[in-house]
Amino acid sequence: MSTCKPPEPPVPAETPTTIDVVEEAYYCVFAHHYKGVTVDAEEMLTDGFIALTQELSRSGRDLAVAVMPPLQGDRWKDWQAFEATFRTITDRLPDDVDEKLAVVTLEAMLAGLGANHTTWIHDDPPRHPDFHNGDMYSLGLLTNITSLQAGSDLGGALGPLFVTTVLGGAASKAGLRPGDVIEAVNGESPFVGGRLTSAIKQVYPRYPQTRPVRLQLLRESTGRRWSVELRPGLFQPDLALLQGVTSRLVGDVAYLKVTGFAPQVADRIFRVLSRLGSQRPLKGLVLDMRGNTGGREEEVNRLLGAFAHGKVTGHHCSPDGTCRPAKTDDSVTLLNLPLVVLTDRGCVSACEHFSSAVQALGVGKLVGTRTGGVVFGLPKPYLLGNGTVLQLPTTHHLGVNREEIDEVGVAPDVHLPLTAADVAAGRDPALGKALSLLGSPS
Amino acid sequence: MKHSSLRAGATGPAVLAVCAVFAVSACTAPAPPRAAATPSPAPVPTGVMVLPAPTGGSAVGSTVLFLDDTSRPDPWEPQAEGRRLRVTLWYPAASADGERAPYMSAKESELLLKGGRVVTGAPYDILSKTETNAVKDAEPAGARRGLPLVVLSPGWTKPVATLTSLAEELASQGYVVAGIDHTYETYATTLADGSVAECVACDFDTDFGFQSRVVQSRASDVSFVLDQLTGSAWKGSALIDPARIAMVGQSLGGGSAVAAMVKDPRVRAGVNMDGTTYARIPKTGLPRPFMFLGNPQHVPGGRDTSWDRDWKLLTGWKRWLTFTGGEHQSFTDTVLMGGALGVKQTGTLGAERAVELTRTYVTAFLDRHLRGRPQTLLERDSPEYPEVTFNG
Repeated sequence: MSTCKPPEPPVPAETPTTIDVVEEAYYCVFAHHYKGVTVDAEEMLTDGFIALTQELSRSGRDLAVAVMPPLQGDRWKDWQAFEATFRTITDRLPDDVDEKLAVVTLEAMLAGLGANHTTWIHDDPPRHPDFHNGDMYSLGLLTNITSLQAGSDLGGALGPLFVTTVLGGAASKAGLRPGDVIEAVNGESPFVGGRLTSAIKQVYPRYPQTRPVRLQLLRESTGRRWSVELRPGLFQPDLALLQGVTSRLVGDVAYLKVTGFAPQVADRIFRVLSRLGSQRPLKGLVLDMRGNTGGREEEVNRLLGAFAHGKVTGHHCSPDGTCRPAKTDDSVTLLNLPLVVLTDRGCVSACEHFSSAVQALGVGKLVGTRTGGVVFGLPKPYLLGNGTVLQLPTTHHLGVNREEIDEVGVAPDVHLPLTAADVAAGRDPALGKALSLLGSPS
Repeated sequence: MKHSSLRAGATGPAVLAVCAVFAVSACTAPAPPRAAATPSPAPVPTGVMVLPAPTGGSAVGSTVLFLDDTSRPDPWEPQAEGRRLRVTLWYPAASADGERAPYMSAKESELLLKGGRVVTGAPYDILSKTETNAVKDAEPAGARRGLPLVVLSPGWTKPVATLTSLAEELASQGYVVAGIDHTYETYATTLADGSVAECVACDFDTDFGFQSRVVQSRASDVSFVLDQLTGSAWKGSALIDPARIAMVGQSLGGGSAVAAMVKDPRVRAGVNMDGTTYARIPKTGLPRPFMFLGNPQHVPGGRDTSWDRDWKLLTGWKRWLTFTGGEHQSFTDTVLMGGALGVKQTGTLGAERAVELTRTYVTAFLDRHLRGRPQTLLERDSPEYPEVTFNG
């Protein structure tokens, strides 16, 4: 029944999303998604239908025939009923509205699965006409709550909200500095009752959003309170700040900040260490994985192979409960270096695979805050008939001892959140703690 | 999955390979300019690659220069002493007699094939057996300031040797061709001391803004090479006309042609063969002649939007041509390697025909703009080249 298949070149051009594409995705989920066996088709179709009716309502085109068909718990029959209703609705609407309805329906069906790493890649986001490689479109600042957290982690975020990095653009022109506390976003408080609100999302506008964002700011060091209006725009950030691996020697400890598990990142790290080691004998290593957005599993296993051999680093589990172990890449030479890994809520996905294994295998300590808990399982791509791609986790990730990490995150050995005052003063207590654990004066 | 089999993702469309990872935010990132997709293996490698003979009237000489720029650090290798570049020159020669110039060394062949993950059973040194049409270190022939200069820049991870069939043709037509191996941006570059520099910059190619950075660096390489060649770096330097310089590149090298023209007004004209463009052209426009040569996907409104963006800012003479049946490597010797390596090509345009079209249209462009010779080929469709489409 499922016709989706792993994509192969050449990439077909994308064509509009129709109800037939939604059907293909529906069966693709049953055939390949980790939750495909257990997912309730009725719930999935209901999620889709709710989104469809909301779109009808929002667009002012609601129809009396837009009534959820009765479902009977049979995936095939229920689809037939759903599709018939969908067609009844769209027969009464223009073609472009039909496509929009198909898109929101499929997006909601996938969101309802409740499994991160389930994504549908379609309709490349629009780009600023003057966009060049290396440009950014934003307010020009980063905060202690990453844009990813802003979308998924309202529950676990720790306040207050403050600026961690000024990359350029409007934030730079307005004179913002790291450590400036953001007390309100467009008049809304980012934390209410200790919980992060959706106001944070307005701090990370995307093209083509152009509406200015008003920030109420507090600079704790001077007590100054003021507000600025920042207009989202295109700017050129300092690329040196955004390299995948940056490094320095702190005494005889190597400090490396690693932003992701890109292809060949493990070898890149080893080359950097070898270079630093040629300057002076290394006594320890700090891997700063804060904000690390993940990447390739083989890079995780290769990097872990520098600290332990013959070990399991995590598990990829099938719905039937069988698990395939991920293992250290033992072709790597052991570094024999004491290790501390810095983590925070921005460390997600492959970063959590890495951090959890470091902790479970006892090859290093974790310092910072709990990781993001966005590690449902390794996704695989499936091509749909209209040239769009469905990424589905086919297995579920568990830790070295088969412990759940997804949504839970990995708790550090030493809990040490970054504060606005630290950032404003250019201090990094987590790094300081790491250095003291490694027996090196900071 | 083993390291090597996941790397097979490189055989898929790059934009998809980027997404098939355990990450949450990588899916919208533009694909890095990695080595182009390796064609799927065909059963049997069939000996050595054959480079078509050049068609111009001059014999061709070739020599290698090692030029060290001590005024700036190497952008990729902190332990290097300055930017050390290897430049291969092709030029009109006084005589066709003499030892042929090597195509590449056995070691370079091996590192290129291993880097591109071309595992077909063909011996790793196979490319070093390629016979070139150029005489090694031949005496250059020409009048003082009589020869226009063309800089060649290859694709990401590729040595400039992969543009030899084009380079030999241009030299036979009376151009001095300076092919730059951008050190550490290639799987293998043999340096002056005999050491082989590998692709150190490959460590960086997933960094945010990497492509922007690398074309700027290549533009600096080009300016330095022009300083040297129009000075006295080569015994034939006096033959070069410094007022008639163009640049031609494939893939990232083509994108670098735009960057070099923006940076250095000495580059009077440019050809970009199927490369996404990254350099920022001033809002006032780039008023010098430029030509896009692309595969059939590189059309206005296509997936790569960079040509559409920059087309508006090219305010001089310009053309946008595509080769029906062509692919990304149709503009390089890589299409000729299929038989020798035992790999299938993805385009339907024959390898020899691809080379012929590339040679013909690049020569026409250079003759038009560096020699002031009108070219009907560049004005309209030509019945003898029905594969060539004018998009603008």
